[in-house]
Amino acid sequence: MASVADFAQAQAPVYHQERPAKSGLVDWLTTVDHKKIGILYGSAGLFWLLIGGLEALLFRLQLAKPDQDLFIGNQYNGLVTMHATTMVFLAVMPMIAGFSNYFVPLMIGARDVAFPRLNAFSWYTFLFGSLVINASIVFAHFPAGGWTGYAPLSTRAYGNDGMDFWWAGLVLLAISSMVAGVNFVVTILNMRAPGMTLMRVPVLAWMMLVIQFLLAFSFPPVAVGLIFLAFDRTFGAVFYESAMGGDPHLWQHLFWLFGHPEVYVLILPSMGIVSEVLPVFARRPLFGQHAVIFSGVFIGFVGFGVWGHHMFTAGMGPIADAVFAATTAVIAIPTGVKIFNWLGTLWGGKLTFPVPMLFAISFIPMFTIGGLSGVMHANAPLDLQQHDSYFVVAHFHYVLVGGALQGLFSGIYFYFPKITGKMLSEGLGKAHFWLFLLGMNITFWPMHDLGNRGMPRRIFTYPADAGWNFDNMLGTVGVFFMAAGTLLMVYNIFTSMKNGKTAGRDPWDANTLEWMTESPPPAHNFDFTPVVFSERPLFDHKHSEDLAIPVPHEAEQIHMPSYSWKPLVVASGALLVILGLLLLNLAPMLWLISVAGALTVVVGIYQWVTEPV
Amino acid sequence: MSAELATADGHLPDAGHDAGHGDHGHVSAENNFLGLPNIKLAMWAFLGSECMFFGSLIGTYFFYHGKSLAGPLPNQVFSIAITSISTFLLLMSSMTMALAVDATRLKRLSSARTYILATAALGATFVGFQVYEFSQFVEEGLKLSTSLFGSTFFVMTGFHGAHVTVGVIWLTMLSIMISNGKLNKERSPITVESAGLYWHFVDIVWIVIFTFVYLLEFIK
Amino acid sequence: MAALPLLLAWLAGCSSEPAPRDTHAPVSDNGEISSFFYSLLLYLDAAILAIVVAVWAYALVKFKKQAGDDTLPEQSHGNMKLEVIWTAIPTLIVVAITVPMLVGVFQMSKRHDPNQPVVEVDVTGKQWWWEFDYKSGSAAGLHTANELHLPADTAVTLHMTSADVIHAWWVPRLGGKRDANPGRNYPMSFTAKAPGIYDGQCAELCGSSHALMGTKLVVHPLAAEVEVDYKGQKVKLESYETWVKAQLQPAKPPVAELEKGLKLFKERTCPSCHLINGLEGTDIAARSATSGPNLTHVGSRMAIAANTLVNNPENIAKWISKPSAVKPGSKMPDGLVTPEDAKTIAAFLSSLK
Repeated sequence: MASVADFAQAQAPVYHQERPAKSGLVDWLTTVDHKKIGILYGSAGLFWLLIGGLEALLFRLQLAKPDQDLFIGNQYNGLVTMHATTMVFLAVMPMIAGFSNYFVPLMIGARDVAFPRLNAFSWYTFLFGSLVINASIVFAHFPAGGWTGYAPLSTRAYGNDGMDFWWAGLVLLAISSMVAGVNFVVTILNMRAPGMTLMRVPVLAWMMLVIQFLLAFSFPPVAVGLIFLAFDRTFGAVFYESAMGGDPHLWQHLFWLFGHPEVYVLILPSMGIVSEVLPVFARRPLFGQHAVIFSGVFIGFVGFGVWGHHMFTAGMGPIADAVFAATTAVIAIPTGVKIFNWLGTLWGGKLTFPVPMLFAISFIPMFTIGGLSGVMHANAPLDLQQHDSYFVVAHFHYVLVGGALQGLFSGIYFYFPKITGKMLSEGLGKAHFWLFLLGMNITFWPMHDLGNRGMPRRIFTYPADAGWNFDNMLGTVGVFFMAAGTLLMVYNIFTSMKNGKTAGRDPWDANTLEWMTESPPPAHNFDFTPVVFSERPLFDHKHSEDLAIPVPHEAEQIHMPSYSWKPLVVASGALLVILGLLLLNLAPMLWLISVAGALTVVVGIYQWVTEPV
Repeated sequence: MSAELATADGHLPDAGHDAGHGDHGHVSAENNFLGLPNIKLAMWAFLGSECMFFGSLIGTYFFYHGKSLAGPLPNQVFSIAITSISTFLLLMSSMTMALAVDATRLKRLSSARTYILATAALGATFVGFQVYEFSQFVEEGLKLSTSLFGSTFFVMTGFHGAHVTVGVIWLTMLSIMISNGKLNKERSPITVESAGLYWHFVDIVWIVIFTFVYLLEFIK
Repeated sequence: MAALPLLLAWLAGCSSEPAPRDTHAPVSDNGEISSFFYSLLLYLDAAILAIVVAVWAYALVKFKKQAGDDTLPEQSHGNMKLEVIWTAIPTLIVVAITVPMLVGVFQMSKRHDPNQPVVEVDVTGKQWWWEFDYKSGSAAGLHTANELHLPADTAVTLHMTSADVIHAWWVPRLGGKRDANPGRNYPMSFTAKAPGIYDGQCAELCGSSHALMGTKLVVHPLAAEVEVDYKGQKVKLESYETWVKAQLQPAKPPVAELEKGLKLFKERTCPSCHLINGLEGTDIAARSATSGPNLTHVGSRMAIAANTLVNNPENIAKWISKPSAVKPGSKMPDGLVTPEDAKTIAAFLSSLK
């Protein structure tokens, strides 16, 4: 039997690069290394997670007691809008992109993504988009139309100036996601190591493949909706102008045709992480791996046909209501299959409970609660009561916090040793876990009750005699627990990066390719070519006699892409195009900014395609 | 345990064939698990995404069809004669594009460049027709802000025109790259074919728009 | 584990008194359908959750790795029979709950028999108040605001629309909400059963004062007066027809000491938005998207500013002297009346019973 240390049998080869790598800040600005871009995405996601949490904390203070006036009217609406926009687009999605960037190539045994410079371009458009949305608070006001941006509340007549920053930032984020989607679809389908058939692709990489399809195909409708909004606000088009015959349902259809697949974009990667973590700490294979994969694919497909369940109260008519209610109920089946297979993985294992496992096991019941309340919402007659009430708020926080975020936390504790070569502190991690689990339930469980008691969402105040005081106070108290837990994790990350225990290649006795290589992995990922015989290639090496350790490559065999400024240049051009349109309202001459941006894009792309890589 | 290897040579896929234009751009067996080069697979995924984009634009046009509260109406402004000419030119450009792809396969770069420039010129003429058409419509009282028809029509066809413009720039770049030797004979088939995929897609979108938006107005 | 039944009891609304806006103490046929599905799914969900949590907890305890045991457990990759079973059972459950649900969808969108007496009201959401225009029966032509009065045990159809952004009219005790869309008109039909006073509010984010866009539903008995409980107080509700008759009366000219209030009301341009039927010089308000509530019987309402403040002269004065302090972004401008004048106007308005 081989041990993982045997993989370090030779000197790491020197790889071939067209231009020698830069160092320091220039390296980070021009890198095309999927691992560095992954770290950039992940760090940005963590940063915005803290900001989004702070926004939640502020409006929970306003709601702690009835009739308060800390944040009223559009101050409150702005905080709510930015909390959701930040959490969905700027925290969870980039954290997912971080994992996707860092680990998908490692998991499938590739040297990088299919288009490394395009990957850097995605990162920059994301960064610029996040900055544009948040610049609203500096130059205007926070957008106050809700993260769903329903027209006509988002139009010039009724929406505030922050909505301009909102559409502009979201258009950049949409470009970033669509480009990344195409890039990763190609990477996962085409760049797998020898022997890694589709059914041997790790579940996390599989879920990433599904969401990249969802990103590539679901963002265009909302991009079109945002373009309409921009034309209405800036050029006087009448898409959402009801006085001109415009229909408020148009935006909702375009938005939710994106918005519902987006929900699966947020949850599927965490399901993937849980599917990676559980087998490692149960010391047995994922139960029904194919069923888990196919149910994820099925969820992705059906996810495109259920968007109308966000519109049961909108008045689509009973036939549309019935169709969407039925398709939505179907989603419960593959979701249940996943949950049962995770239980099957635990059953008969030999379980240990380090921090990543704690988050992964608590994911199961917490996500189940969110899923089961989702079954309630799928019931259209019942949803007429629950829609836009706190019951829905409870539902999607169980799914997104209990599900998506806990899965990502599990991933952070699980993969941190691979990224940094150091272990995170177990003690601090356990404190984080318990504080977070407690806080989450203290905050979100009573919100079910609030919804039952008729409290609508997005209201900045409530009367003292409505019977909502106790639950709201709990909702505010719990946030402090969650905040404390999350800050502990951040502290843990910073201290462990310096002082953590050395991790080695395979600290968890794991199964998949990423644990074969060094921690952190070298720029070229693998010194050798991994050959894959099952869905657990590293497990095979560790537990079978007849598998030879692969031979390292000669230096000249490995070609790596060189650093490039061009992604930054082209993304800056795209930013200028959007900024010009955004600022057009201030002075008509500012369209010249857009022209300058377009020229930058054209020249940048020419240089991009002609520079040697 | 039997080895069911998809690729026998046991080499990791190299990174860095990004956009397919580098000097190292050989697309070999090790780089295409599915048997399709990265760049082509990416084009197909991108065009799928574009289908959703134009699907939403065209879908909105029909969602609002007949709901405008103010004139002029489509059949009052459309000029089938003029649009038929521009449609014909765009169709012809698909032919020259196909000839360009063919020429790169035969390693005849200079004739490929001629066809590419012809395609770009036809595309540019189409955009010129569109500018003329838009200005005619505005003269007849149809503006972006006039009605739902104005908003949906101008934004839908405008974004199509923008796509044609992007294609023209793309093709111009390719012809420059052939001239200054940045695009060699090895690389040119896949590169020009990718541009061709995009060009044909944009062309097909126009056929859909011309048929369902223009022609259907006059079948009554 | 022990906490689970307690947590579920919390959601089952196991207290004896319904909460003021309880979604599961329905007073209409529609509300009963929603509530039926809530109970059904709550117990179903509870059972599923209990099974999942039980298996999960048992596995965590039972299959914990023992210290010193470094052998691998059995390396099972799955079990086809189990996969089929746990795909089939959820499928059956989904079918079993979807079929009655579809029946419910069509039940709730049923239209009333046109031969039956039906009360039809146009409901218009405006930033940030509700306008009710009665279309049929004895109340036809009646315009009122924020407080919707309906007869018990009578078929009602509300036609929901909006004058600006999307709103949603929601009285939780009555049943589900429906969106009020600008440029669209969607009917909501139901029969209210128990006379009483029920609070509600806008449920769709509609701008800065979304939280303060309240509404009241007053369900009157068909015939004799009844006494109902509202927030711990006994309130007498006259019959629906009595209420309609009173509301259709034009306003009476004010008594001498209140005349100054009417004069100020006209001087301060209030009539350009607010109509008072029957008082000369106050009926110039063009009924448009920007007009405010009809004030003919404003004194008879229980609350003002869209169910935000209790209706008394002090609150009216507070509201009209600086509307934005009560409702951020209010369309009623600040500074039209001085605090002194506001008191005089408030006294007059309160008299409009």
